[in-house]
Amino acid sequence: MGVSRRGFLKGLALGGTTGYLAMAGASSTVLKDVFIPPSPVGDFDIGMCKSVKCTVVSETSWFNNARVVQDMKDAGGLLVNQYIIPWSNTGVKDGYNGNNAGGYSALIDLELLDGSKKKILLDCGWNPEWMDECFKREGVDKMLKNKEIDVLVLSHEHFDHFFGIESVLKNCPDIPIIVPKGFYKEGFDLLKGASFPVAHLKNDYPHTGPIEVRESGKVHPLFPGCATISFDSAIICRVLGEQGLVFNVKDKGLVAVTGCCHMGIISFLEEIKHRVKGGDKIYGIQGGLHISPFEDWDPQYDDLIQALPSYGVEILACNHCTGYLTAEKMILAGLPVVQGTARFRSKKKLFLGNGDQIVFG
Amino acid sequence: MISLKNEMWLESRIMENRIAQPLRGIIGVLFSSLIFYILWWIFMDPRGVLKWYTPQYGYMYIRWILIVAIWQAYVFNFWPFSLKWRENTHPAITGAVLMFVNFAIVGAVIWGFFYNFLGIYSIPYLSVNKLMGKGMTEFFAREYSSLAILMFAAIASWLSPIVTVCFANHPWHNLKQPERGITIFCVTALLSILAFLCLMHPHYHVLFWPWQEYAAAYPWWDKFAHTLSGNFNVGWVMCGTVSIWMLEVTFDRYPYILIKNKILRGVVGFIGVFLFAVLLFVTFNFVQELAWGPAIDGAKRILAPDWRYQHSGELAIMMLIPAMILNFYFDNGPKKYSAPVNIALRMLIIVVSTMVFHWLYYKFSPSLLGTQAAYSHPQQFPMAPGILFICVMLFHNWFMDLWPGKKRVGNSDVMLDDDGEEIL
Repeated sequence: MGVSRRGFLKGLALGGTTGYLAMAGASSTVLKDVFIPPSPVGDFDIGMCKSVKCTVVSETSWFNNARVVQDMKDAGGLLVNQYIIPWSNTGVKDGYNGNNAGGYSALIDLELLDGSKKKILLDCGWNPEWMDECFKREGVDKMLKNKEIDVLVLSHEHFDHFFGIESVLKNCPDIPIIVPKGFYKEGFDLLKGASFPVAHLKNDYPHTGPIEVRESGKVHPLFPGCATISFDSAIICRVLGEQGLVFNVKDKGLVAVTGCCHMGIISFLEEIKHRVKGGDKIYGIQGGLHISPFEDWDPQYDDLIQALPSYGVEILACNHCTGYLTAEKMILAGLPVVQGTARFRSKKKLFLGNGDQIVFG
Repeated sequence: MISLKNEMWLESRIMENRIAQPLRGIIGVLFSSLIFYILWWIFMDPRGVLKWYTPQYGYMYIRWILIVAIWQAYVFNFWPFSLKWRENTHPAITGAVLMFVNFAIVGAVIWGFFYNFLGIYSIPYLSVNKLMGKGMTEFFAREYSSLAILMFAAIASWLSPIVTVCFANHPWHNLKQPERGITIFCVTALLSILAFLCLMHPHYHVLFWPWQEYAAAYPWWDKFAHTLSGNFNVGWVMCGTVSIWMLEVTFDRYPYILIKNKILRGVVGFIGVFLFAVLLFVTFNFVQELAWGPAIDGAKRILAPDWRYQHSGELAIMMLIPAMILNFYFDNGPKKYSAPVNIALRMLIIVVSTMVFHWLYYKFSPSLLGTQAAYSHPQQFPMAPGILFICVMLFHNWFMDLWPGKKRVGNSDVMLDDDGEEIL
């Protein structure tokens, strides 16, 4: 079939213009504002508290980074179910009695406006022996036995935040537990006393208290001035869902406390901004930000470091899976990273370590 | 003067339908799905045998399988295999042999050329051992180098078919093999290397710390793309790949085929492919904004600008799959109207099929492929299983003549003049 040059150019002009208007036109013109509404301003009132004190019970999730990465590689990579990965628990030179596992856990002391206090245990670590030592060091074991801790909030199901559940339940088997939506059957079975020999995981102290599953996309009040927000994040090692805590400290602003923040700290801050009243003033951040936990990198993390200053955070008490490389870059970028003391097997003073505390308020 | 067979053997095939539609199409899809699933389970699935989908390592192999298949069928016209062998051998045997040759060449390219030559003597991030020598863990050394190697392939998958699809092999159409294949290979390899150095190498400027200030340019797309990540370029390059393949399978090279001068056709076609790629890229980004709101600078996952760009490429691949199924297994849909109308109807079928395929993929991939249930996951790339499935369909068509649904009953004896036109 032949066609004249004029006919071809006419067809090309017509087709191209139609195609542009049908595809790019709407997205690049004023029509875009019609189709994509502006983001809402947060209006959920979570109340107010006087102060929040975070004690880092343990932020050393593992002791040898290369070993934990090798464990995941040998098992088949970052998508393999964590309950069937044979984690190295012997022969690790810088491990805890040869065990590479450590764990993450933080104790949050919340002082309400009326002067009363609440205690939240965020996560329960990985290696029960290591967690027993850390809980003893900070007095958490006694607090659990005396029922001084009001609730155990599990940020997400990852091995280093949850597999040490035995250490909590042996001291307080009926502690109320809050989990984000996404926990797998294995996680609930572990709470009931199951064991997973391949992963060297067990719980000999079945949980007898209430478990609350918190749906994503909502603000869930916990105490006056304190709430949780859950996210449908899909995470490495076949884990789904994570929740973070948000506090409204009087005269200061909102404080975001995370376990690992797999959803991304920017996403968490944006969610707070669009859901929680007063969300445009984020005063502080505490916890893991999961940027370079294995000291790996992606240019996306530089995007994050470049974007974070615009949120005006005054205290950046990140640690754990934030990664030392990230902390180094954040400090160079002028972000207010709180330094630690590098005690109790935390390796560097770049950020808060084991036994360190930060007070907001 | 050259025969059509020697110019492009695939186009000279005379095919007979052995089974009526729609059964033929259904059997074809099931056949490819079965081969795909066997390969996925053996090589990629996190619950399977080798578990290479870690994810970049397995993804790297998949990417190069596609490029090598293009070299085998389009660039080298099955050389060094004789066309007589290709014509006289049972399709199951040609399929198995050519697939095995494909895998062997992929291994040679990755292990020989990248890991143990270029990575050692030129660019260290292409070599696992070199990165480990710098203190990196084996896992991340393998992931980083795999990412770079697959990026080469991503760019090559867009540029490699250009000479054949847009330029009809001109100005080298009269060369015999392997001269023509080597020439086109060298030209497209040069273009791919240049494109890689400009589009992906800057990603490695910021990937390592300290930044590689002297070895690579700063990501020049940062200000307008709102990300330092090379995923910005991955996205539109993938749209470019899909664009050129849709020109081949859906548009029948229309309207560029109307231009008689092959060089002019090639230049206009290349520009047209690029513009279509940009349109796809912008559209898929907009679709994501409609679904999930605007991307946010510095965010992760579904709100991350770089992930959105990458996902535009993933959505484009999800569109190419139904386009290829329609062409290979269902006779490319309506043919009775004029070319523009036929193409418009095909596009309608493809767009609807894309939406269905998208839903099916995210619903069933966790149980079928061992992936995680989520649109955005840092270690998951739907392009990996998507491109593997495309490769299997290409094997089925190019290496097996779509057996058993079709039978190649012969090859056309058409001769082409010096301009590449059929001599009547």
